[in-house]
Amino acid sequence: MSTELNIGELFAEQMDRVLSDSVSRELLISVENGQSADTLWNTLEELGFLLALVDEENGGSGLGWEDVEPTLRCCGRHGAPVPLPETLLANWVLAASGLALPTGLVTVSPALYQLDGNDKLHGGDSGVTWAPLCENIVAIAKRDANRYVCLLSQEQCQVEPQETLTREPTGALDLVGVTPSAIAEAPRTIGGLGLLPYLASLRSVQIGGALEELLSLCVEYANTREQFGRPIGKFQAIQHAIAELASQTAAAQVAGQYACRQIDADNAERGGMIAKIRAGQAAGRGAEIAHQVFGAIGFTDEHSLHYLTRRLWQWRCDAGSEFWWSERLGQKTIAAGADGLWPSIAGPTELRKTHALR
Amino acid sequence: MAQSFKFNPLQIPDELTPLRMEVRSFLLDASSDWSGWDLGHSWTCFNREFSREVGKRGWIGMTWPEQYGGHDRSALERFVVIEEMLAAGAPVGAHWIGDRQSGPLLLRIGTEEQRQRILPMIVRGDAAFCVGLSEPGSGSDLASIRSHADKVDGGWRLNGRKIWTTYAHLSDFMMGLFRSDRSKERHAGLSQFLIDIHSSGIEVRPIADLTGEAHFNEVLFEDVFVPDNMLLGSEGNGWQQVTSELTFERSQPDRFMSCFPLLPLSIDALQNNEDRLACRQIGQSLSELVVLREMSLSILGQLEQGQTPSQEAALVKELGNSYEQRTPNMVRELFDTPAVMTRGDRFSELQAYLTQTVPSFSLRGGTREILRGIIAKGLGL
Repeated sequence: MSTELNIGELFAEQMDRVLSDSVSRELLISVENGQSADTLWNTLEELGFLLALVDEENGGSGLGWEDVEPTLRCCGRHGAPVPLPETLLANWVLAASGLALPTGLVTVSPALYQLDGNDKLHGGDSGVTWAPLCENIVAIAKRDANRYVCLLSQEQCQVEPQETLTREPTGALDLVGVTPSAIAEAPRTIGGLGLLPYLASLRSVQIGGALEELLSLCVEYANTREQFGRPIGKFQAIQHAIAELASQTAAAQVAGQYACRQIDADNAERGGMIAKIRAGQAAGRGAEIAHQVFGAIGFTDEHSLHYLTRRLWQWRCDAGSEFWWSERLGQKTIAAGADGLWPSIAGPTELRKTHALR
Repeated sequence: MAQSFKFNPLQIPDELTPLRMEVRSFLLDASSDWSGWDLGHSWTCFNREFSREVGKRGWIGMTWPEQYGGHDRSALERFVVIEEMLAAGAPVGAHWIGDRQSGPLLLRIGTEEQRQRILPMIVRGDAAFCVGLSEPGSGSDLASIRSHADKVDGGWRLNGRKIWTTYAHLSDFMMGLFRSDRSKERHAGLSQFLIDIHSSGIEVRPIADLTGEAHFNEVLFEDVFVPDNMLLGSEGNGWQQVTSELTFERSQPDRFMSCFPLLPLSIDALQNNEDRLACRQIGQSLSELVVLREMSLSILGQLEQGQTPSQEAALVKELGNSYEQRTPNMVRELFDTPAVMTRGDRFSELQAYLTQTVPSFSLRGGTREILRGIIAKGLGL
């Protein structure tokens, strides 16, 4: 356990070095203008990051989700303008279903599509992040009771550009009878929500990373910005606001870790659901506090704060908002009844005899 | 900059499921006649008979060495037991302080004689503790306490007043903080004493709280003699001892589960209700709880490794208190029932009690403001 965690930390440290060197304001702006961060992407590919979750037989590193969590969090912290989390997920599900891994940029569409009797795909997704820049898109489709992993060539999909809060190149998909370039039966761990819980988990981890950076920027600013003759961090009002930001950051990070552990334990929906609710809530509150601490300067285009806060506002909505997931979790929880509540938290889940009181 | 907190995961292994089921089944039997009002008290409900039953089953002092009556079990086994107790709203108040902080403090800094004498009593559920910290003039500013201990032949003579001392009128011992060197100020010159609450010169005056009950007290000390062998830890080291004690206190599930029994009752009342907003409220509450539990477990792991996760504990208490404080209002939003309390109706009694009690959650064990100050300092502000 501890050695695996060390591998995860080493990966994250390497990622941190790469991103510290390459993610600049100029790069972020060029990606917002539709350019691909090719140099960064090539570096990540050369270092083997894209295959971190792919097993060793297929040329990957064979890491678990818990192992790559620090790396994903690091991507969130830097606002890395590349589809690395999406690619990790795409390659993981492709390899797990025995499909060949494509070269180049790949992203995921978390919507659930229909596969017809002629192996043609139908369905849509209102916003697939990175789709305009990616050669391939991975999606899950249903046919009868079966689920399939489909690899789609972007060229065949007619990606409709879609503006978003992050301004990262994003596109809407409206597929009517598109033929996937590869199809395979989905691994049995992929449930009725397809890739949605997985993407929700990724976004939760990224939120934890972005909040970590916000927190660090706020502490630094509060210690240096002076008003009334002293650093604003000496005022209790500011201290308490930043303390609350810290508590939200910690909760989001723990939520992200939890989601990754649940994926490793074949319980992705539960993990993604819990995590996205908590992280989504933290994202909104955290961004609000950071803007209050920074005042007017943090509201300018020139300041770097918005590269993080716009991502937080995007990510809390991506792959199901905290509201969407909490409704689903609430429905399931109420349906399981009062007796099911505590075992759903503390286990064991297969036994239902509890002390639930009436 | 490296982050000032970390939360490495700690998981409860499946091997502990039999223990969990044993506790659950014990509680299922024991809980049949607990009222809603009792459930709301839970770890502040003083019931010595219940504590003795718990003690008989080996669930007090679980992690302490066998030589002191303990059971040499793991911190995770203890965690399983206490979270089951809290989930059920069990009346664990008579042994809670002894098991959570006084016993562990004695194990760390007590003398061999103190451990031999007192720990086995706690384990049986026979020794209840109260904590004498606050004074009429010293609340959050604890270092300003003025109650003092003067050295006399063979021991100390205590004078002064403690206030907000929960269950002083029912306890056997107080862990009291006194100024043992009046020439020193603030954090220096403080010492902790193990005080027999029945010593002559101690007067306990109950103070009714806003629910009409008298849980806490003012405790007056007039020339109270405490023998030398009841000094706790080192003379003059009281401040350090008390703050380390609080780290243990601040991260456990009692900091976020005080309102838990409202959730199963709410779910029961929501059966066959398709209201989307109600689902959202339940889902959000559950998500917060699961994450807090993960955080609490992580701190347990860090404590086990000999680390001092004070920053992490402050974060859990800050988040946990805010979470539990919101629960009665969530219930009010879900059901919008009138503000009446129907005796004998568990849900109604529980909601009425907790609605009035939640303000104390961000006061006890360090106010929200003190905790945010600790967090800010830890962040480098």
